[in-house]
Amino acid sequence: MAPGRLVPTFTPAMLVSWLLFATVPMWIERVGLYQYLGVEILIFAIYALAYNLVLGHAGLPSFGHGAFFGIGAYAFGLAQFNLAASLWVGLAVAVLAAGLGGTLVALFISHRRGIYYALMTIAFGQVFWFIAIKAHSITGGEDGLLKIERLPVALGIVTFDLRDNTALYYFVLAVFVGVSLLLWRLVHSPFGRIVKAIKQNETRARFVGYDVWRYKAAVLIISAALSGLAGGLFSMAQTSAFPDVMSLHYSGYVVMMTLVGGGLVSFWGPVVGAVAFFLARDMIGALTTGWMLWFGLFFVALVLFKPEGIAGIFAGLATRKHKTTSAPVSNPQPQER
Amino acid sequence: MGTLLNLLPHLVNGITLGLLFALIALGFMLILGLMEQINLAHGSLFALGAYFAYAICAPRLPLPPDVLGMWAAVPLGWRFAAAVVLAPILVAPFGLVLERLMRRTYGRDPLYGLLLTFGVAMVLEELIRMVWGTRDYILPVPREMSGGFIMLDLIWSTYRFWAAALAIVAMAGVWAIVERTRFGAMVKAGAHDSEIVQALGIDLTRLRVWVFVLGTMLAAFAGVVLAPLWGIRPHMGVDAVVPAFLIIVLGGVGSFWGAAIGGLLVGMVVGLSGAYASEWSMLSMYLLLIAVVTLRARGLFGKKSVLEV
Repeated sequence: MAPGRLVPTFTPAMLVSWLLFATVPMWIERVGLYQYLGVEILIFAIYALAYNLVLGHAGLPSFGHGAFFGIGAYAFGLAQFNLAASLWVGLAVAVLAAGLGGTLVALFISHRRGIYYALMTIAFGQVFWFIAIKAHSITGGEDGLLKIERLPVALGIVTFDLRDNTALYYFVLAVFVGVSLLLWRLVHSPFGRIVKAIKQNETRARFVGYDVWRYKAAVLIISAALSGLAGGLFSMAQTSAFPDVMSLHYSGYVVMMTLVGGGLVSFWGPVVGAVAFFLARDMIGALTTGWMLWFGLFFVALVLFKPEGIAGIFAGLATRKHKTTSAPVSNPQPQER
Repeated sequence: MGTLLNLLPHLVNGITLGLLFALIALGFMLILGLMEQINLAHGSLFALGAYFAYAICAPRLPLPPDVLGMWAAVPLGWRFAAAVVLAPILVAPFGLVLERLMRRTYGRDPLYGLLLTFGVAMVLEELIRMVWGTRDYILPVPREMSGGFIMLDLIWSTYRFWAAALAIVAMAGVWAIVERTRFGAMVKAGAHDSEIVQALGIDLTRLRVWVFVLGTMLAAFAGVVLAPLWGIRPHMGVDAVVPAFLIIVLGGVGSFWGAAIGGLLVGMVVGLSGAYASEWSMLSMYLLLIAVVTLRARGLFGKKSVLEV
């Protein structure tokens, strides 16, 4: 996006992909898949988009994002049981709780970057995961929080029931559209520009006069809150919440999705990655038991040879004719040794 | 005095646990401190060591039945000793391949090494699942090392002390290699200033291979030693790698004594908090880490490293 030009609210490509997603329930069963898969993909697409705000846009490698997703999932269930049986209350509580968790983590780690950031987020992720397993009276421990209901969408005069997977899919799609609009706006706002500047060179951004700490904290909190929203949707889809989504494995999966899809170079990369991840799970999983073996090898190959991911491969094919410059991935930081 | 005596078993427990944590962290520390690479596959190599040891100790190897029968007739003590020596050697080739892959990430953002080894960890864990299944195994321990003894009216597990002793031996060995040999000096110099070391005519590429293999073998060794205590299961790798990196961050990147003291500290905190709230004892190490690192950004003994770029 050239500086000085106005960024549209949404791009034609976004519109096309939304419409494509909207047609999914009509043909997904005909190609041998099932409606719930679409719900899962969209929820993780929201999650990965939110995660990429931290990894791709701010360059902060969080390896503990599962915690926020999990907090959202539990908060949605707990709000339903203890507060009010309303979808909106549940989702709001999920967002708030995960945002609060993100704030707590941000207070401790926002002065860090690079590998130390990754290590500290792993530590915090483990703390939340551990609490989720051990606080049996609140979360149900390893048995999980069960019997979470898919509450109806109450819009004043009309109410939609979400117990059917297709209905749930369209509701999640609506949230997805909202989140992608919000994040697109955010990334291209002055705030997003400053975050990008911090990613490119934190020291320079500080010398220019920006309060780097505050921006890094804000990015993590927003990302955590939206991850919590995805988590809330997930516990509703699953009608239960389990601690395993908070584990290091699951935190790694969202990193894999984001990177495989091309989150480092493309806004839509994480969505591509989420689709690829779940299709690989179901399609390779149908052929062999060890689907993660093949997906893991694919991931390793991408990290080694094409860290720009699937989106990067396509972008490379498209721009090869015009220019030989591919988008820079690793921004060369000044070596202060 | 009474309370002190009550705390004694937890204290001893904490010290042995700390030594074992330090043992797990040792290989991780070598690769991180000397090569500035985060090896998240460390835990998977650790798990592989345990599985190979199981294959050696409990003979279910793909060998002709008469050979297998002869091997099974060997006393368990010898088979266990063979596992301690052979399992790390068998895991070493995995380290060689991993180092070969990681070469492409040298000099790039260390994040790529982290992502790469995370992917490799996933692959190795899945491989383990495919070969050995998801069930738990128990590594049999020779009679001379198992069981317990009574001291001060308390029952102590014998193997814990053997494991702690093996941990001390491994740590002393690594210290001697890094601090007292020409190889160690070259590796340390290479981590400090790779350009000068190469200009002096030292083959840094080969040196790095050896460091990585050494780190891999240490991971496998730790896997063998800990398998009788923690059991053998596919996700044991992740259970091990998290305390390992935690100890390194706590102790300070690139510091041998940081890793040793960090390990002991974590072990003691887990052991002592286990005296009061056994359910929550593992949480205490994360809180310790967060507290220490908040106050001392580079851990207890850390130096400025490339990771802070």
